[in-house]
Amino acid sequence: MLTTKQRILNASVKLFNENGVDAVRLQQIAEEIGISVGNLAYHYKSKDTIVESVYEQVIDEFLHIFRQYLQRPELADFDQQLSLYYRFFKANQFFVADFFKAGITETDHTTAWQQAVNKMLAQLRSWLLFHQQRTVLRAETTPGYYEQLAQSVWMLLVFYPILCTMRGRPCDEITYKQAIWNHLKPHFTEQGLAEYRADVLPLLTY
Amino acid sequence: MKKPPFSIDQAAYTNLLAGLNNLHFTEQKGNLSDFQLFTDDQWLADTAVIEQLTRSRGEWQVDLIFASIHNPLRFLKRHITANPCPKRAAQQGYYMRRLAAKDQRGTLTVSVAQLNLCAN
Repeated sequence: MLTTKQRILNASVKLFNENGVDAVRLQQIAEEIGISVGNLAYHYKSKDTIVESVYEQVIDEFLHIFRQYLQRPELADFDQQLSLYYRFFKANQFFVADFFKAGITETDHTTAWQQAVNKMLAQLRSWLLFHQQRTVLRAETTPGYYEQLAQSVWMLLVFYPILCTMRGRPCDEITYKQAIWNHLKPHFTEQGLAEYRADVLPLLTY
Repeated sequence: MKKPPFSIDQAAYTNLLAGLNNLHFTEQKGNLSDFQLFTDDQWLADTAVIEQLTRSRGEWQVDLIFASIHNPLRFLKRHITANPCPKRAAQQGYYMRRLAAKDQRGTLTVSVAQLNLCAN
């Protein structure tokens, strides 16, 4: 049984995704979970406090994914992180949409988000380096090449669900993962390809 | 005034990740022989223990003697403590023996209060 506070946050995330953060009114949130606006006001004084709590929760979830970094050295380990990223970006698209606004003002959560994104990029870069050391990935042809690859993988991770929506194609976890692995595949060595076929491919074809 | 959220420096974070990466290259499984130390002392679990009081350097020295119940010639003597008062030395020896000896019924307890420690 969720607490009312948690139910309010869940309903807010759902409505933010559907209508955008600015378009949601307190009345809608209250209706969504079937409580009165007065009751809602008891838990959260204003919409700003709800938005703040939602952002806090979202960033917490995001940071949780980072903690799964390289728990095992195999390629398949990254696949689990991909599942988490997929669920996260699918569930919190409003967060990304926020950054499309022109003239965005710097707030606490935008800074936190920026830091988290930089962390994510650093992790991806570090993950690529690790597998280069393991001779699963080829050595960099030009210095800084994997930096760029990390950035393009990052873009896929964040924007692939949106890309699918724009193209009118369905996006499920498997296609999401396939897109990312296919992006990485050309950089694998023979050993990497063998490991990919043995460990990762079975996870993508069920 | 609200506390700003904790943030880690970018370079420090990259270093930390490099350390995590290295773990997978440097950390290796240990050998069973690393636990030799425990198996070496395993026989002490099946020993009879007696205390021994001897006068040495003006004090009563408490030693415990462990003898294997399977082979009495296999024994070990350990110096535990020393006390100028013979009664106290005997008392300490008694409780130390009770701590060290195998507790057949599993009902014996020793608490620190019984040792009658005096800070002076």
